[in-house]
Amino acid sequence: MKPRSPNIQNYRPQLTSVLSIANRITALISTVALVAFVAWLVAAASSPSAYGALYAAAVSPIGRALLVIATFAFFLHLCGGIRHLFWDALVGFELRSIYASGWVALAASIVLTAAAWLVGRHL
Amino acid sequence: MIIHSSTQVSRFTLLRRFPLPRGFGVLRESRIERGRHWPAPAGAKRTKTFEIYRYDPESGRNPRLDTFEVDLDDCGPMVLDALIWIKSKVDSSLTFRRSCREGVCGSCAMTLDGTNWLACTRFITEMAGRASVYPLANFPVIKDLVPDQTHALAQYSMIEPWLKASEPPPQQHERLQSVADRKQLDGYYECILCFCCTSGCPSHWWNGDRFLGPAVLLQAWRWLADSRDDAKGARLDALEDPFRLYRCHTILNCTRTCPKGLNPGKAIAEIKRMMLERTL
Repeated sequence: MKPRSPNIQNYRPQLTSVLSIANRITALISTVALVAFVAWLVAAASSPSAYGALYAAAVSPIGRALLVIATFAFFLHLCGGIRHLFWDALVGFELRSIYASGWVALAASIVLTAAAWLVGRHL
Repeated sequence: MIIHSSTQVSRFTLLRRFPLPRGFGVLRESRIERGRHWPAPAGAKRTKTFEIYRYDPESGRNPRLDTFEVDLDDCGPMVLDALIWIKSKVDSSLTFRRSCREGVCGSCAMTLDGTNWLACTRFITEMAGRASVYPLANFPVIKDLVPDQTHALAQYSMIEPWLKASEPPPQQHERLQSVADRKQLDGYYECILCFCCTSGCPSHWWNGDRFLGPAVLLQAWRWLADSRDDAKGARLDALEDPFRLYRCHTILNCTRTCPKGLNPGKAIAEIKRMMLERTL
């Protein structure tokens, strides 16, 4: 049997491939976060003690870090999805646009995450 | 960093490769072993190190990574010149395909510093400190830098890449086409089938047995876009499949790596739109 030349073990990560795999990973994180969101609703509906325990876990340093990651994952997936919507309409296929929209999606999701947390703290 | 054209070599790369073990998902016969070091000839002043993938089917041994010191003062400016220099001056058994040495034939497509390009149109000065040269990513290897293209070419023949007209050609002249119709083929007819894009496509890495890959799909679009072709319906029927066409997830490594500056990703999106439009 012929050997196979290495693919992902040797191919250079590029904005194109990194954002593509990021879109999948963020979808996975968002799905898990959705389960946590349902758990939050169930706890709120069941009893004050259950809600208190979940709230304590959510505002703990690890809980906050996970929530920030989940928020960022949500926004990155949203921006990536909008980028795909443009491509489906055959807009933005020049290499320059592919890279520009990629960096914009990344920057926008960082800004949106920060904005969501800032607004959330003042509510 | 914004990439304006596929000719641009990335200057700033956070990671040279994905943070995975070298042996991640690699079958035993494909594991790469340490090879030997070939020093520069005595008296060489300016040298450059090339790490080159070697595989000898007759040795019964695994592929290995040899390092060669190339004398830049004795060698032409392109990576292909370095390979030819090694073959004629250092190790005559180094095997690779080459023909036109001007980016027209597509024979010397290989993975250079982790991205696919033609060895004849990449300057040695554009290569990393330790230049790495592998056969086209994810292709079976016949020997050293020679990939086995049997499967890729079989996929190409699957799309029946020839003109299918319902009427015989006119007696007096060839089949004519308006300037505007001819323009629809620009950016697609230039493909030289080097398979740089297909080899760089992660979707084709994981599902290459059924997904046709960017090179073949760009060719498919080249015939779908041809005003003289009358087989659009049959061509679309052959592509309407969860794997053949729709395993493209618009990663766009293809457009990033095309040595001819073409846009396979856009061609595939055009096919998807045509597929949708015929159902409306």
